[in-house]
Amino acid sequence: MQTDRSSKLSTPNATMGPKLTDKKRKSREPEPESDDELGNGLFDGVLSQSEDEEDYIPSDDEKEGEDEDEDDSGTEGTEGSEDEGEDEDDILSEDIPSDLDAEEEMDKLVKQGEELEITEPGVDPKPREDDSMEKNFRIEKDANGGERYVYDEIDAAYDSDDTDAQGPVNTIGDIPLSFYDSYPHIGYDINGKKIMRPATGDALQSLLDSIEVPKGWTGLTDVNTGNPLNITQEELEIVRRVQMGLLPDDLQDPYPDTVEYFTSIEEKMPLSSAPEPKRRFVPSKNEAKQIMKLVRAIREGRILPYKPPEEREREEQEEDEVHFDLWQNEEPQAPNPMHIPAPKLPPPGYDLSYNPPEEYLPANKEREAWENADPEDREKEYLPQKYIALRKVPAWGTLVKERFERCMDLYLAPRVRKNRLNIDPNSLLPKLPSPAELKPFPTVVQTIFRGHEGRVRSVAIDPTGVALATGGDDGTVRVWELLTGRQVWSIKLSSDEPVNTVRWRPAKDAFILAAAAGEDIFLMVPTHASVTPVLDQASRDVLAAGFGYATNGQGQTLPAGKEPPAKWARPGTKLEDEGVLIRITVRSTVKVINWHRKGDHFATVSPAGQRSSVAIHTLSKHLTQIPFRKLSGLAQTAAFHPLRPLFFVATQRTIRCYDLQKLELVKIVQPGAKWISSFDMHPGGDNLIVGSYDKRLLWHDLDLSNRPYKTMRFHSEAIRQVRYHKGGLPLFADASDDGSLQIFHGKVPNDQLENPTIVPVKMLKGHKVVNKLGVLDIDWHPREPWCVSGGADGTARLWM
Amino acid sequence: MAKIKRKGQAGQARNYITRTQAVKKLQLSLPDFRKLCIWKGIYPREPRNRKKVSKSATASTTFYYTKDIQYLLHEPLLQKFRDQKALEKKISRALGRGDVSDAARLERNAARPDKTGKPRYTLNHVIRERYPTFIDALRDLDDCLSMLFLFANLPSTTAVPAKMIARCERLCLEFEHYLIVSHSLRKSFLSIKGIYYQANIQGEDILWLVPYKFNQRIVGDVDFRIMGTFVEFYMTLLGFVNYRLYTSVGLKYPPKFDQLKDDQGAELGAFALEGVNIAANDETKTITNGEEHGPDPKVQAEVDKLVQKLRDEADEKDAGEGPAEEESEEQPSDGIDKFEPVAPGGDVLPQPSHSSSDPSQLFSKFTIFLSRETPRQPLEFILRAFGCKRIGWDSVLGEGAFTTDESDPSITHQIVDRPVVQAAASGEGDGEDNQTAQKLGPNARYPGRVYVQPQWVWDSVNDEELKGPEVYAPGAQLPPHLSPFVKPTQGQYDPTVPLEEQQTEGEAIDAQLEDANEAHGGDESDVENDMDVASDNDEEEDDGDFGGFSGEDNEEEGEKEEGSEDGNDEETATLQRQRELEAEIAGKSVHGAGQSKVDAKTKAKLEAKRALERRKKQEAEDLERAKGMLSKKKRKLFEQMQYTNSKKSAEDMKLRQKRRRLEKEKERAKA
Repeated sequence: MQTDRSSKLSTPNATMGPKLTDKKRKSREPEPESDDELGNGLFDGVLSQSEDEEDYIPSDDEKEGEDEDEDDSGTEGTEGSEDEGEDEDDILSEDIPSDLDAEEEMDKLVKQGEELEITEPGVDPKPREDDSMEKNFRIEKDANGGERYVYDEIDAAYDSDDTDAQGPVNTIGDIPLSFYDSYPHIGYDINGKKIMRPATGDALQSLLDSIEVPKGWTGLTDVNTGNPLNITQEELEIVRRVQMGLLPDDLQDPYPDTVEYFTSIEEKMPLSSAPEPKRRFVPSKNEAKQIMKLVRAIREGRILPYKPPEEREREEQEEDEVHFDLWQNEEPQAPNPMHIPAPKLPPPGYDLSYNPPEEYLPANKEREAWENADPEDREKEYLPQKYIALRKVPAWGTLVKERFERCMDLYLAPRVRKNRLNIDPNSLLPKLPSPAELKPFPTVVQTIFRGHEGRVRSVAIDPTGVALATGGDDGTVRVWELLTGRQVWSIKLSSDEPVNTVRWRPAKDAFILAAAAGEDIFLMVPTHASVTPVLDQASRDVLAAGFGYATNGQGQTLPAGKEPPAKWARPGTKLEDEGVLIRITVRSTVKVINWHRKGDHFATVSPAGQRSSVAIHTLSKHLTQIPFRKLSGLAQTAAFHPLRPLFFVATQRTIRCYDLQKLELVKIVQPGAKWISSFDMHPGGDNLIVGSYDKRLLWHDLDLSNRPYKTMRFHSEAIRQVRYHKGGLPLFADASDDGSLQIFHGKVPNDQLENPTIVPVKMLKGHKVVNKLGVLDIDWHPREPWCVSGGADGTARLWM
Repeated sequence: MAKIKRKGQAGQARNYITRTQAVKKLQLSLPDFRKLCIWKGIYPREPRNRKKVSKSATASTTFYYTKDIQYLLHEPLLQKFRDQKALEKKISRALGRGDVSDAARLERNAARPDKTGKPRYTLNHVIRERYPTFIDALRDLDDCLSMLFLFANLPSTTAVPAKMIARCERLCLEFEHYLIVSHSLRKSFLSIKGIYYQANIQGEDILWLVPYKFNQRIVGDVDFRIMGTFVEFYMTLLGFVNYRLYTSVGLKYPPKFDQLKDDQGAELGAFALEGVNIAANDETKTITNGEEHGPDPKVQAEVDKLVQKLRDEADEKDAGEGPAEEESEEQPSDGIDKFEPVAPGGDVLPQPSHSSSDPSQLFSKFTIFLSRETPRQPLEFILRAFGCKRIGWDSVLGEGAFTTDESDPSITHQIVDRPVVQAAASGEGDGEDNQTAQKLGPNARYPGRVYVQPQWVWDSVNDEELKGPEVYAPGAQLPPHLSPFVKPTQGQYDPTVPLEEQQTEGEAIDAQLEDANEAHGGDESDVENDMDVASDNDEEEDDGDFGGFSGEDNEEEGEKEEGSEDGNDEETATLQRQRELEAEIAGKSVHGAGQSKVDAKTKAKLEAKRALERRKKQEAEDLERAKGMLSKKKRKLFEQMQYTNSKKSAEDMKLRQKRRRLEKEKERAKA
């Protein structure tokens, strides 16, 4: 810090004239000693120091500044220099004695072999110069006793630009000066001597200050010395010049005159009148040697003589064209298997002719389309064109570009071998038997059953194949004569809930229909002409048998306080008169009813009824059981295996197969569909078809895999229902929201090793699509290749 | 435990290398790398799985085989490139110092490779490497020839030095000379892009394109440095190929080149072929048949004399050949023998065409004069290649003509490409006198001479027989010029075959129906309209039922049962139309009885059409059923194939339709 500031302040000095300040500093070297003395002689020192408050600049310096100021008005440069001269003189005159002292001292020191630093500051070059004039060495005796000149040490500090070598610098470092407040000194100089605190203001001082502010007074204190920090006139001048934007140093002439070190005047006359030497007139032997070397090289042909460039060029060209048989001893190589030769450009077709057949010429519309298209989008990069004569054919504008593109292709296009299938696409198609060979299957609408208001949600043909039962949105269940389409029986089960499903009991010993409307399942015995009283009575008996069982209390296995899964009850006299004999109320809306083949059990599925979504009802015991405590996923539909005691439950994504005897999970079938809508078991029991809302029909071979054997996508909308023909014909059908039924021939071979053959045979269209709903349900006739479909358009249709 | 495999250390990642990596590995600049790739025939590869190969995410990285790049590492050219780079550095440094003389010295010294090591390279070894056998080289000659012929016609610029162009031109002309001598030119085609030629050399078909002689316009950004690199390679290649070809027919290579003649535009005539043996001398004579041209009668007389001599020679030759052929039974000949079945029952093998007349001598008996508006270079080349030995042309077209005198009596054919001027004089009765009177008249004709348009030459060459010149007479409308390179394939449209033979059944019926309608004229326009509507309906039905299995009839029956509730407009329209037609047949219609016969015919056609449609529908149904049984992958493949096929057939159908219309228009114009 201190050094910094001092150096800042001293730099102008240095630039002004290093000699000057240095000398001054040197001259002030003994000051501290005097300071010491000053400690006693108070006022003396005070005064002197107050005048040149700032640092080591002694009074004469100050005076000099004043002097300068005074005669500043005139020619500064010259005066400055004069001043300098004077100064020097002054200093010289002052210093000489001290210097001499120092020399004497030094002599002593040298003799004693002591350190020189102490005496160094006092050494001045000038006097030494003076000495050298006289004698700047001492003569000593060396080891041999001879004379030995010993020169003085050269003081590096003197006259050097080294800013480090400065006067007494306070070495206390970067600590506040207040630490020394209680001491008489303010720090130590480089030599470890105390720097005494200068006397500070007292009454006299303040008096003097009040009389006049000293020149260059700043009011600051120099940290190094503790003296007030004053700015000299020179420094002020520098500040002024810097402010003015001038060179800070007015001594330096920015535009000095050129010094002509070498004269530009050419001397005409020789400086010497000596005659030309002989060698100027005698051929050089050395040169002759060099030339002979070249001559020899040329003779030996090491250097070729000059040839005009044209000749050389011609020679070059001749050299270029070497002609020989490159393939003289050719040996065929097996082509590298990784090498793909560049494909050749296709040969030109008819349309590239300059005079093509007329039909190749583009019509106006085609031409326009071509011209408007982007060059990249065009199928051909040219338009066929006709010229009536060869002379009219112009140059092809883009030929160079085309060639260039070909070049780029050869060089930059990645080559890939592409195996083009050059086969008839029809050979890919499987050979399907013609539909005629697969007959019989339904082809036409035979009967349309109209009567339902709103959708027909469910259709079912009774096991004898005579009656058709339908249930619809209007809450009615209707029974029709299948062939004539005459409605024989009808009942309204619910006024607000639609009949979601109707299913006949499969056994032929009774004539029982199950229907679900809302949360109620109704079991009924429709009365119609073909039902004999005997059969009717038998049916009623079957239904009534359970009442006794229920009253016997054998079904009550429920713990007290727990609500039974279903309530079996009589529906009331009004309905009973019509033939509806039992109402079973479960907890949520039933969507699906599926009977066990023997007719004693049936399963219902109510997708919304979380835990109790799947229920198995026993007719003979009027018992309802919920087989699953927990089901993963929403149950969609459930069915019994046609032969074995297995039970299938379809959730959204999977179909699970449970063994009813062992009460365990047997298999999980994963059709891969997003949302299964329905499934049906093949009567053989080994195959399964699944319909899904994502338009897929999947055939599973249960022995083969959990994954579908075939996936068929023929529908444009969701598939609602799938059905196998149960009466021995290899048929199955699906119903879709696109309003169509599709009939497939699906033959399951007796041989286990053979795969089932599936052939689509017929697409039956007739149902109208209402509110994006098409055909909602289908059922097959138990024996004939007929099927019935119920649609959202309020009709059911018999196809045969 | 097995060693842990790190990503990118094996497999595809090691087999491929990006271009940047390759350049770094070879320590070359990109232009040098490009050169090397072009010359060595190394091209990028498309990895099967880009993701596995590339370490970066950029999609447009170019990959090379690492093996290919490794193979480049041992290329001697690589050292040359580096030397060149060093020299360039030296020169540029000298220039940077302003030391022009030093730079010049370096440059000059470079001309003395033995002293200063100028990197001079040849591509001989590269060619030998790329084409181990001569046949390999021939196989790859297509691009080479197209490129060199294009460059031979380019204007010289800084990018394309004149020297390069001259060399290209020379090489091309030398190649043409070989084709002429060996008669290996097979076909040629005048396209809008230029003239395609096809030659068969040693069993290899070579096809190349020669631009028309115009100043080539350079459009778009064309980098001539790349083209130049290719041309450099191709020039070397064609030089060696030419040498081999020339020596194979016993000619000396390079042929003597007359700079003076070339400057006068002799082109082919500037070369004098020299045979290594005597056999070739004859050719030499015939090819350098350039005559001095001048109007003075003295020269003319000489020409006449020479012509006479040549004719005599030709006659002699013909005379000499006649008996020679007769007695050639014993002599072995180069020609192909015809295999005749001796006993019946054997299979017939396809045999090379065995024509009595050699196609290469197609024009050998003619003296052909080219008018000055015809393109001389291609005509001269093609005529010579097909045996013509005496070709004259106007002196404007350059040096080297057999005769420049149009009135030369020996001229048998003149190729003209100027329009017939409908001068009033030509319409007069005694046109003969007029023509003789004004010798250079617009429609002047020399008697005893066949005037044809240039296309005659090309069509004759392609069909290997002389076409009737009357079709190609000046001013006549030319028959279409067909590409000889198109191989007719089954089911594709072929303009040479009459329409009736290639149209489909449906199209034929449609056409007949239309004809019938037109025959009926405006009287039956309403019926026609009706029918059109009906047919449209049918088509719509077609589309609608495309996916269905059901027969239309069944459905209709169903509809009938249902009553008209469904009210399908289309259906009813169809029914109504049917009823109308039935009524028509019965003769109860408004139309007179005279037309009933025609109606019956129309009816039959309609029936046929309906039957066809039904069959089509049936087929479509079957197809749909079968398609449903395919796996997804196979179905996609099938659909793709079907798409391309149907696109092609749609194009063909369009062409057939256009042709039918055009033919009809023509007929109408005649009538």
